[in-house]
This record gives sequence, structure tokens and C-alpha cells, in this order.
Amino acid sequence: MERLDLVMNMLLSLLQDFGLAAVPAVGFAMIFNVPKPALKYCAVAGAIGHALRFSLYKIGPLPIEWATLIAASVISMIGIYWAQKWRAHPKVFTVAAIIPMIPGVYSFTALLALVEIERKGFTPELLRTAFDNGFKAVFIVAALALGLALPGMLFYRRRPVV
Amino acid sequence: MSTDYQPWVKDDQREVTRLCAQTGLMLLQHSAESALAESVARRLGLALRMDSVEIALMANGITVTTIRDGRCHTTVRRNIDRGINMHVVTEVQRTMLLTEEKKLGLAEVARRLDEIKPFRYPRWLVSVMVGLSCAAFARLGLLARGADADLGTFVLTFVASGVAMQVRQWLAHLHFNPLLNFATAAFVATSIAAQGVIHGWVDSPKVAMSACVLLFVPGFPLINAVSDMVKGYINTGISRGVMAVLLLLACCGGIVFAMTVWNAWTWL
Repeated sequence: MERLDLVMNMLLSLLQDFGLAAVPAVGFAMIFNVPKPALKYCAVAGAIGHALRFSLYKIGPLPIEWATLIAASVISMIGIYWAQKWRAHPKVFTVAAIIPMIPGVYSFTALLALVEIERKGFTPELLRTAFDNGFKAVFIVAALALGLALPGMLFYRRRPVV
Repeated sequence: MSTDYQPWVKDDQREVTRLCAQTGLMLLQHSAESALAESVARRLGLALRMDSVEIALMANGITVTTIRDGRCHTTVRRNIDRGINMHVVTEVQRTMLLTEEKKLGLAEVARRLDEIKPFRYPRWLVSVMVGLSCAAFARLGLLARGADADLGTFVLTFVASGVAMQVRQWLAHLHFNPLLNFATAAFVATSIAAQGVIHGWVDSPKVAMSACVLLFVPGFPLINAVSDMVKGYINTGISRGVMAVLLLLACCGGIVFAMTVWNAWTWL
């Protein structure tokens, strides 16, 4: 019975994650002026990507960077499929879709820790905060960009996608 | 006969060179990645019967050379950033695809490219959606910590980031420098969120403070920077990456200034 409860809880948070991630994907797609008919693709891809990452690193055993890499390459494959149907570059869909996974809080925390070092003087804790968050941010951004480029590099080596 | 033929070819080639430069420039100006800008411009030139098209991209310019029957034409255009616009990128790419399918000739390509007007969503709508996005980020942040939903945090984040987005679009419309723009708008967002901290409106002020500035994370430039470098365009990649980090630092300045003014140091 407890086990069932746990599973239900996880499914519920996965579902919440799926729904919540679609909102920023559409919001940022509008900042990028993605054409109207493509907005729904951004929403779906964003939700799938973020929920996949959530299940890989919160429920599954992977570290966040590897989960991000896998989620980004799945989004990229979906994006390539749509791009060929819709005659547009895959980045039109995929960049908005990975926005929910961009490590915004990590990057700001790292930079703010550096400012704090300047303001209050050096402490090992602040430097540690800066390095921990900064490296997390750098590695997640690298994983996102690599994941997006991966299907193109593996399957479309010298051919254009569209 | 050759005297009739050659002047025509020369003008024709000049026009193709211009169109290739215009295509590449439009893509770069609206934040397409370098590999896309280069390949679309080259394929357009080849589709318009050039023997080869060579393109060199710089951080703020583009050089195009077309070669036909051993004659070269070279032109340089300066690149000014016009903001991210995927609508323009899609339209330019479709023009190139139609040309490759032989459905468009030289004159139609020129007309189609000139007719592309950057599409923009209404400003209020973008602000509302971005406010909702940051509120969703706040909820995701709470979810990741296993905390319960909190309506106060949600509303505060929505208001702070919605207003900040309106300020950001307004300043961009007035052509302020993006760094100045981001710093000011980040100051506004943090100031509004700080009111919740000061007056104790919300249960988790730290989440509201960090989520309301997430609209300033330059996601597109960061991703473009890395994918440019992965695909061998190191110099455009570096310049885009440096710009992204500068934008982040400018926001950071705005946040710190706001936290100093309101004396609300909840972030760290």
C-alpha cells in the first residue's frame, strides 16, 4: 500500500513537471518570435524534455548533466522530425523547448557569490558556492548544446537537415 | 554575340552576390547559428547557378564571394544585432528551399526577401506569458525541493517578472543598450520581489527572488555560442558567449543594486 502511494506521488509530480515546463517553453518561444503555428510544438517538446530529465535524475539514478544530455538529444530528434515536415530549421522548435532546462538559478547564484566575495571579503564558503554553481551551469549548458547537436552529428554528417 | 551575353551575366552575378549577402546577414541579425547562416546563403547562391559561393563570417560582419566561369564577386556587409526572430529565420530558409526547387527566379527571390517583415507578438501578451513562465519556474523550484505549492510566491513572481518584461520591451523599443536595459529591468524585478520579503507576504521569498529574474537568462545566445564552437565557428561562438556572460553580469549588477537599496539579502 505504501509502495503504491509512493508510485502515485511520483507520477503526480512527473505530471506536474510536464505541465509546468510547457509554460516557459511557450513564453520564451514568444520572446524568440517563433511563428504562431509552431508554438504548440515548442510546448510539447519542452514538456517532454523537462519531464524526461526529471524522471532520469529525480526518479532514476543519473546525474543531472547526463540526464540533460539525453533529454536534449531526444528533443533534438523530435525537432528534426518536425523540421522536415514543417520546412524550417530544427532550432526554431528546439531552443524554446530546452529553455526550461537552462540553469538560470545556478548561473545567477555563482555570479552573486562572486559579488559577495567582493563585498564582504573572501571566505571559502562563498568561493565554494561560486564554483559549485558555476561549474554546474557550464556543464548543463554544454550538455544542452551538445545534446541538440548530437543527432545532426551522428545521422546527418555532411547533409543538411532541411 | 559574346558582347551581348557577358554584361548580362556580370549584372546577374552581382545581383546573386547581393542576395547571398542579404540572406546571410538577415539570418545573423536575427540570431540564427553561424552554420545555418553560412549553409543557407551558400545553397541560395548555388541554386541561382553560381559555380561556388564562399562565405566568411566574422563576429560583426559577413563576407561573400561568388564565382562563376572564373569571375569572382566579393561583397562585405556589417552585421547589427536586430534581436532574436525565428519568424524571419523560417521565412528566409523557405525562400532558399523554394529557390532550390526551381520555383523562384532571381527577381522573385529579391522581392520575397524584401517583403519579409519581422513578426512580433503584442508586447502585453509577451509580458503576461513571461510572467506566467517565471511563476511556473517558481513552482518547479518548489517542486524540486519537495515543498508545497504557495499561491503568494506564484503571484509575486508573476507580477515581478511580468512588469520587468514590460520594462525590458519598452527599453528595447527605445533602442537602449541591451546591457543597460537588462540591468534596469533586473533591478525592477528584484525590487518588486523584495517587497514580498520585506512585508512577509510569501512563505518562500528566496524562490520568488530567484525565479523572477529567470527571464533575463540569455538562453539563445548561450546555446548558439556552444553550438557555433562545436561546429567549428570558434570566433563567432566566442563573441556570442562573451555577450551572453556580459548580459548575465549586467543583470547581476541590477539584482545586487536592488538588494542593497531594499536591504533584502535573501539570495545567498
